[in-house]
Amino acid sequence: MYRFRFHGRGGQGIKTASRIFSTAAFLEGFYAQDFPMYGPERRGAPVAAYVRVSHEPIVIRGYINKPDVVVVGDETLLYDPVADPLRGFGGGVLFVNTPLNPNLSVDGEVVTLDLTGLALEHIGRSGAISAGVGAVACKIAGFSESSMVDAVVRELEEIGLPDELIEKNVVVAKESYRGVPSFDLDSLPSLSESDFLETDIVHVRLDEGEVGIATIANLGNSAVRKTGNWRILKPIVDYSKCTGCKICFAYCPDVSIHMGEDGKAHIDYDHCKGCLICSSVCPFKAITMVREVKVM
Amino acid sequence: MSRYRGVKDIPEEEYVAPGSALCAGCGAEIIARHMLKVLGRDTIMVNVPGCYAISTLFPYTAVKVPYVFAVFGSGAAVAQGIRDGLDILREKRGVNNDRVNYKVVVYVGDGAAYDIGFQSTSAAIHRNLDFYFVCYDNEAYGNTGFQLSGATPYASMTSTSPPLGDSVGNEYGKKDIFEIWRAHRAPYVATISVSHVTDMLNKFEKAKEFRGPKLFVALSICPTGWGASQEDTVRIARLAVETGMWPLKEAVYGEVKHTFIPRRLKPVEEYLKTQRRFRHLFKPVRRDEEISRIQREVEEYWRRVWEKELNR
Amino acid sequence: MSSNGGMMLTGNAAAAWGARVSDVDYIAAYPITPQTEIVELLSKWVSSGELKARFVEYESEHSMLAGAGGAALAGARAFTATSSQGLAFAFENLYAVSGWRAPMVMVNVSRGLGMPMTLQVDNTDVLSVKDTGWLQLHAETCQEILDFIILAYRLGEDRRVLLPVIVNMDGFFLSFTREPVYVPSVEEVREFLPPYEPPHGIAFSERELAYAPTIILGHSYTYFRYQMHLAALKAKEVFYEISRDFEKIFGRSYSPVEKFMLDDAEYAIVSMNSFTSIIKGAVKRLREEGLSVGVLKINMFRPFPVEEIAEALRGKKGVAVFELNLSTGGGGIIYPELLKALYHLDERPKVVLDFVGGLGGKELTYGEIRYMVRRVIDAYRGGEVSPHATLLFTEEDTRRMIADMELAGKSWGGF
Repeated sequence: MYRFRFHGRGGQGIKTASRIFSTAAFLEGFYAQDFPMYGPERRGAPVAAYVRVSHEPIVIRGYINKPDVVVVGDETLLYDPVADPLRGFGGGVLFVNTPLNPNLSVDGEVVTLDLTGLALEHIGRSGAISAGVGAVACKIAGFSESSMVDAVVRELEEIGLPDELIEKNVVVAKESYRGVPSFDLDSLPSLSESDFLETDIVHVRLDEGEVGIATIANLGNSAVRKTGNWRILKPIVDYSKCTGCKICFAYCPDVSIHMGEDGKAHIDYDHCKGCLICSSVCPFKAITMVREVKVM
Repeated sequence: MSRYRGVKDIPEEEYVAPGSALCAGCGAEIIARHMLKVLGRDTIMVNVPGCYAISTLFPYTAVKVPYVFAVFGSGAAVAQGIRDGLDILREKRGVNNDRVNYKVVVYVGDGAAYDIGFQSTSAAIHRNLDFYFVCYDNEAYGNTGFQLSGATPYASMTSTSPPLGDSVGNEYGKKDIFEIWRAHRAPYVATISVSHVTDMLNKFEKAKEFRGPKLFVALSICPTGWGASQEDTVRIARLAVETGMWPLKEAVYGEVKHTFIPRRLKPVEEYLKTQRRFRHLFKPVRRDEEISRIQREVEEYWRRVWEKELNR
Repeated sequence: MSSNGGMMLTGNAAAAWGARVSDVDYIAAYPITPQTEIVELLSKWVSSGELKARFVEYESEHSMLAGAGGAALAGARAFTATSSQGLAFAFENLYAVSGWRAPMVMVNVSRGLGMPMTLQVDNTDVLSVKDTGWLQLHAETCQEILDFIILAYRLGEDRRVLLPVIVNMDGFFLSFTREPVYVPSVEEVREFLPPYEPPHGIAFSERELAYAPTIILGHSYTYFRYQMHLAALKAKEVFYEISRDFEKIFGRSYSPVEKFMLDDAEYAIVSMNSFTSIIKGAVKRLREEGLSVGVLKINMFRPFPVEEIAEALRGKKGVAVFELNLSTGGGGIIYPELLKALYHLDERPKVVLDFVGGLGGKELTYGEIRYMVRRVIDAYRGGEVSPHATLLFTEEDTRRMIADMELAGKSWGGF
């Protein structure tokens, strides 16, 4: 059995990518199983999807703890403690969507490609990477290009994309497919390991009073979550133009703009999710944007 | 005289923290920020399932005032219990701390206001409960993936009103919750928009004068569900006001006054075109009949307002 | 009121008095037969000033329970009452209130759930909410209704427990039956029941809190759910403690189960609620007929008193379970719980048979009770045994049914 784990952010189409991959596996004659996992969070929050592909019927389900292949749709997730895409990874193949050529010290093969760049070039939207991610996974697994294209069309029709957009996605998928190498998954050292976790049981005792009741006492503690890594585009204040009018401050949904002692707007990049409302409401066009790239 | 003359006057204190898991560009966060800035720290928020529940996911919360999570239809009923409970503690048991004087605010989406929580809200208003009820109206069930609600406007696409075949999308009109609440003779009812922050701050401030139900319905742009760019949240809300589709008004004991009266209306098309949920009105073929129906309804509404409030 | 505090009270009036002497702060109400008298009485006392509390009539049981729970979470002692359809309508809020860990008391006047609609008793209503995190006490007499309400506040408000409690009585058979009830004074009850100040209450918590945040991950969900379970289990131990205090002040003593002519009996009938009185009376006569039988009454259904049941039924030859409830496709609801209590016992009863009767207020006859005992004795001696519940339906029931069916225009010849 080959265990593929996909990581991305809500809105990037990681679930669709995983379905493209498992449908392609199905078309190639495998048994396949796909399973997305996400909370109530939406756009921008980490999501994962799990795909198992096997020559035999699959008698396990749920999370994949020890993946053979990890596919990361957003490079900023790589060291995100919540997403933790490298958890349980070792001896397999890691794919990262990035324009950089990173030197990652991981136990396994590393493959990269700039899927976001391809999506911007052909579709005009940075977040439209599901076809690319799915295609890359298909290639890594050694599936045929025709099965891959068939799967892309089926899954994108399923989510109601218009034909013209599907055609563009197929272009991206083919380029992505051709941009990465194929692997002999049967030779991966990770395959010999079982996915079952060995665990010990503890005795849970009664916690009296307020302790054992579902409450939060640290009101406002969400600030410890660095939602800054959700950004795809980054707002930058041009202080030669900022007049300190407070309009961006008024409209920031995430309390991530503060008026400094200099009377000007300062962006909290730890938390700014990159919605860019600030840039759009600034009457002085003092806030511009650049594509976010995290150095790995 | 309005207390807030512009964004310069926005109170500095924040009762919403950064780092929530809500979508980037979410309108409900902007409304929550300003609502709590005016109501202040001695406020307790009652919340129910809906997008804003994401503000408080164990072990994190972005809400800096105390918060109670209730079932979908019970926001106003729980507010009643809390208000009454705190009152009786003060009156009968002599408890005398800041907590018993909390302002109670129910902060919920349109599903909870227009649909499943409609009965409990109506009853709380009827009982003249001293509370704030604030609906962030994104015109569908956003948190479950954008299904039709009683707040969905005519011709909007939702995931349960797909505009396939001859379908126009949502064939029903939007419930007029402002008028429904006003018919309860509540002391204060207001519409607000995420685009008009000063108007919003002044309305929350004014509401503090009244004892009894203080009811707000806020246009809350949902970039995810509406199929709009995140950075356009404020621009779209402003267009809703300037096209006349989202009137800004208030009613004091039933007496209506508009707080912003456009002299002329921008065409509704300008608003509709910003959102994928209305794309089928323009592509693949333009559906003039539906577009002009929306335009006509807006114009009829404003003709009455202009006559009444401007003697025009 | 007589000099010693004795009064002739219906079950509903006893419930209202229980709330009144517990000095409740908040009453959330909504009318439903056969419960309505309880909230009517409380409304009257609040209006007249005899009870200093706030009374609010909600627009549904769904809201009523949400409001009562909200008041309890704020820190007020809250009371409410309902029945059947109302309990079902409030169902999701049962979980909300217990999940907030907001102790309060709700009286359920047991009635069958429609459709077809009935006004009469069927404990399936209250037993169908056994998994909601509410503790359950079931009353046989009007005195028990009043006493259980007082005990329920002390029990639920204990900081080791912090869970809401349902006190159940049977509709009509108890709600509208008058009998002497000793009503203690507010002062006496105050000695037993300290003021309610929940450690996590909105008005009292050390720090301001966010209550009931949504939980995404399984480990935290499991922890908090299991804490409720542990607190519910702890409630049995706490019940013994507070019963001792209760006895000192009021002279009456309660345990999670009650044994009636049981210790020297070879056979037992297990029962709950008001029909237990009928069974007790029948058992006295069955003893005279030479049948060695006693009664085990279950007072506390949540937490389920497995140890007490095991102890009481150890060494019995056979047990009949009388159930005024029916889980469609399952059978009696008490039966599987009881078997759980007995399974690991070395000297467990050889036979345990299940019987369903009294549904919709149908009379429980002496013949039916004797039938249950005879069936168990016969089974012990090698006769028929079955895991399925046996319905207690008499020849007289059949005759009446034939007549009704004829009037309804349906052709039916009986069994």
